[in-house]
Amino acid sequence: MTSDTPAGRRFRVFNRRRSAPSRARRRLGAAARMLAALALAGGIYTAFAPGAFAEDDTQLSTAAQEGQALFNNSCVTCHGLNAEGVEGRGPSLIGVGSASVEFQVGTGRMPMTRQEAQAEQKRPVFDETQTKQLGQYIQELGGGPQIPAGDLTDNVKTNPEALAKGGELFRLNCAQCHGNVGAGGALSSGKFAPSLHDATPSQIYGAMLTGPQNMPVFGDNELTPEQKTEIITYINTQIQNDKDPGGIFNLGGYGPATEGLAIFVVGITILVFTSLWIAGKS
Amino acid sequence: MTVTQDGAHGAGTKPVDVNDPKLSRFDIVREGARRDDIEIVTYESQFQGTNSKAEKRVVRNIALLFMISGLAAAAFVVFFIVWPWEFELGHTMSDYYTPILGISLGISLFALGIAILAWAKKLLPHEVSIQDRHNKPSSDEDRLITGQTMAYLVDELGVQRRPLLKGAIALGLAPLGVAAAAPLLGGLIENPHKDSEPFMYHTGFDPVPNNGQLVRLTREDGSPVRPDDVSVGGQITVFPGIPGGATNKYADSPTLLVHLRAQDAQDAREATEADKINKGGMWGNYVAYSKICTHAGCPASLYEQQTNRLLCPCHQSQFLITDNARPIFGPASRRLPLLPLEVDEEGFFVAASDYPEVIGPDFWERP
Amino acid sequence: MKRRRLDLAQVPANVGKGVDDRYKVATPLRGLLNKVFPDHWSFLLGEIALFSFVVLLLSGVFLTLFFDPSMKEVTYDGPYTALRGVDMSAAYASSLHISFEVRGGLFMRQMHHWAALLFMASIVIHMARIFFTGAFRKPREANWTIGIILFLLGFFAGFTGYSLPDDGLSGTGLRIASAIMLSIPVIGTWMSAAVFGGEYPGEFIIGRFYIAHVLLIPGGLLALISVHLGLVFAQKHTQWPGPLRTNDNVVGERMFPRYALKQGGFFMAVFGTIALLAGLFQINPIWLFGPYLASAVSSASQPDWYVMFMDGLVRLMPAWQIDFPIGDGYVLPPLFWPAVVGLGALFTLPMLYPTIEARRTKDKGSHHLLQRPRDAPERTGVGAMAFTFFTIATLSGANDVIADKFHISLNAMTWAGRIGLLVLPPLAYYISVRVCLGLQQHDREVLAHGVETGIIRRNPDGRFEEVHQPLGPVDDHGHPIPLDYIGWVVPKKMNRVGALAPAIKGFFFPVETLPEAPVSPAVPSVTGPSAREEITSGR
Repeated sequence: MTSDTPAGRRFRVFNRRRSAPSRARRRLGAAARMLAALALAGGIYTAFAPGAFAEDDTQLSTAAQEGQALFNNSCVTCHGLNAEGVEGRGPSLIGVGSASVEFQVGTGRMPMTRQEAQAEQKRPVFDETQTKQLGQYIQELGGGPQIPAGDLTDNVKTNPEALAKGGELFRLNCAQCHGNVGAGGALSSGKFAPSLHDATPSQIYGAMLTGPQNMPVFGDNELTPEQKTEIITYINTQIQNDKDPGGIFNLGGYGPATEGLAIFVVGITILVFTSLWIAGKS
Repeated sequence: MTVTQDGAHGAGTKPVDVNDPKLSRFDIVREGARRDDIEIVTYESQFQGTNSKAEKRVVRNIALLFMISGLAAAAFVVFFIVWPWEFELGHTMSDYYTPILGISLGISLFALGIAILAWAKKLLPHEVSIQDRHNKPSSDEDRLITGQTMAYLVDELGVQRRPLLKGAIALGLAPLGVAAAAPLLGGLIENPHKDSEPFMYHTGFDPVPNNGQLVRLTREDGSPVRPDDVSVGGQITVFPGIPGGATNKYADSPTLLVHLRAQDAQDAREATEADKINKGGMWGNYVAYSKICTHAGCPASLYEQQTNRLLCPCHQSQFLITDNARPIFGPASRRLPLLPLEVDEEGFFVAASDYPEVIGPDFWERP
Repeated sequence: MKRRRLDLAQVPANVGKGVDDRYKVATPLRGLLNKVFPDHWSFLLGEIALFSFVVLLLSGVFLTLFFDPSMKEVTYDGPYTALRGVDMSAAYASSLHISFEVRGGLFMRQMHHWAALLFMASIVIHMARIFFTGAFRKPREANWTIGIILFLLGFFAGFTGYSLPDDGLSGTGLRIASAIMLSIPVIGTWMSAAVFGGEYPGEFIIGRFYIAHVLLIPGGLLALISVHLGLVFAQKHTQWPGPLRTNDNVVGERMFPRYALKQGGFFMAVFGTIALLAGLFQINPIWLFGPYLASAVSSASQPDWYVMFMDGLVRLMPAWQIDFPIGDGYVLPPLFWPAVVGLGALFTLPMLYPTIEARRTKDKGSHHLLQRPRDAPERTGVGAMAFTFFTIATLSGANDVIADKFHISLNAMTWAGRIGLLVLPPLAYYISVRVCLGLQQHDREVLAHGVETGIIRRNPDGRFEEVHQPLGPVDDHGHPIPLDYIGWVVPKKMNRVGALAPAIKGFFFPVETLPEAPVSPAVPSVTGPSAREEITSGR
């Protein structure tokens, strides 16, 4: 058994802190592994020639320089100088690309307030321009995937097939974690897949491209940019903007769980009160 | 107080002559109740005097409820006919068709219900009646007679005295009973082991039905998968590259192909190499496990790329990919089978063989 | 030509005469119209189930007119854009057709589903009422057993109906059903192959479930509901103890005029509630679930709530697999215990309970008077235990949704369920027995000493004591003569006739009004002779 043996887990409900060391340790392990992977991918860059980047500073674009300033203010503690990562605090960002930055910072997941099972979405600290600048900096520093500019959704009026194709891809690739209705879902040990109801097209695109947290990566070979756009079209049209035709309320889209709750809280309650009124308690 | 002794029908009232022209209708009703062993103890109007103010108010309210019900029902019919109901893409009026029907019909029926209930509860006289329950069992005499009648039947048939008939009944009727059940159940029975290669032990990746050729791993649209197609930390659902491979005909075949990070792949490789069955099943940093949970058959496909766990959304079994997909949490007791990978000369993934272990939910005779 | 004048006033009498000449109905009809029913709100809970069953039949017949129970593969070409061009079974396509192309079809589908949920919910609530009041005792054991079989039939009716649309969620349910069958030792694979017509999922299952859902199970339900009601009718309804009420009579209202009218009104209220639910809350949006694919699944895949307890037990079951190393080896998977043994036990044990209780208490008498839950503490404890178990199992069936929405670790939820399932039911037993005994004691105290008035009096010797208001006659010293407990509510509020009104009024907040002068004598009772209203030992 791993750290998930009963003894290690039992007190989680009552006290989240107790298991914090083990989680930190796991994150540390994950960070170390990610470092190792990136070290391989990024090759000599990160391992042997960190100094090279310092010299490259002068070649950064204006936007990237702005981004660097922001980075050195807010991110450097965990991700280290020149985004090389800090052992035990945060992974290196070399090679993650602007897509990752725009997703993590744009959804408020970064900067993190504390180490936990998973970075939670919150109010973004940086505005849109600042996020772009940070992304630009990381992009120019180490390259990596980028969110394409322009419209990331198909026009369903002119291209209605995109919706159906997107739906099929969504159910095969996304629904297992985010749910058929996009309400999100639980993962192991406190991790979760977030709801998709507030995600913007570029955030969804960035998430697929970079695989934030525990989400698998859907690179351009697994899902082509067209397929990604179709999925985003489906999410945007059916999950985010469609009025559910079956009622005023959709019960959150959590399936039979909330439907069962509703039958007791609404149906049985109304009828028990009615029968109390009919017959009285005598 | 005890009201009813046997025979004291409708205690407190005496029988009356129902043909007596002086009797009111209620007197006759009361006499009827008496004959049904009911004593109407209280039957009084809820209002003092006729046409009291309170009564009029109640009547008005009930009339109002009937009107509301009628209006809502009329609205239901009108909405049913004129409201745009045909589905259209996007946020349109038709999205409110079902809600508007439900609300108008609901209001109509509920108001009608309340109106009727209020009528019964507020307008009709308050009543307490007592009815004899008649819960005494039959008299001993009747029991005796019925028992003897049944015993008499048995006697007359004389099964006791005619042992040959007893045997004949058993021999004659038992096969008939079986004969009645046979076509009902027999038609349903399918031998799961009838094929020389029973389906439980094979999936679409078996090269034998594919003319001995190794089966490619394909996407849902049938296109084959190259190693490049799966990003590091990515996964893809693959199907056997045979006709209909992605359909429910091969419900046991969906497989999850994962591209692990170098360090994780190292762990996974060490684990598979140490295993008798999974040995040599990985290809590079790629590993493929059955997507069908060994617990209850749901697709165990919630891949956590940092912890390398696979979670099944039905019963929360968790499998550790870096350790031969061993179950580490939840009700699953058996690891996910590994699909041995190879790459053919054209650079596409193929299954080196069928799954070496049985796919999907466990069953009694699984070796 | 001479025309016979039609005397309209005589028509009912003539028709009645004609009918009675032929069928001799006057006497039994009088008995029916006069039948007395006791009146209590809790006696109406079973009616909810009956009425939602009527709604189920009505809406279900409508749905069969459009549903195509076929697994033939078709390509969707309907108005729902997001599935156009997708391959699916004809069953799923026709479910979409009902939802989007039949006028009012989606409304009917939703009414049918909500009525099913309400049917099962009211059965459970009704069952709780029967259990906690001891209404299952002799002579009603058979009807209790029939009730449990009705729940079981409803369970299967619900599951088959859930499977029919052949959408992503129902396919997942079918897959689990096949796994449960496979887990049965020795005959597992044979059973699954028989039900599915070979390998899962095959091409037969929707058609087979359809005939079970629309004919076999509803037929069984209809037959058993008739017997259930027939027995209630023949044995007459139980009643609470109280003034005038004995084990040998029924005190209440005659069927006509009041009781039947109330039933009719309540049916409309149930029907209206279902219609409101169907209009306000979207249920089972199959168009978002897509056609069933063995490779696709959604997070939060759950059965409907009345199956959730079984799914919860399956989730909580530890991974205990039993191997039999004989020959090639045989396996008993962990799924077998909760899903097959557990389900069987959860239906068999309640069926046996009336016998067990009668044997334990050595009680052979017939009971037509109900018991207050407090008067049978052990039974109440057992019931609390059973419902705690059921609730924890049901909640565990949705533990992933709870974990996600309340930010609790999923693994912690599973462990909480495992521990809770073992620890909480005995705790519920203990607590409810103690509460029952406490309530009993308080009742006895009031009967012996009178109602607590909250008025403190100082005696001449300086002692303080609370004034008790006697419920019945007093002895020479002014002390109440202890009364017998008759198994019914004991007044706990002081009678304020002749006393000052409470100084502070209001329930949540004090209502600032000046205390009025002593309350005027009570409004004259509208009921009959007050002599009958005395609290007496009904038995």
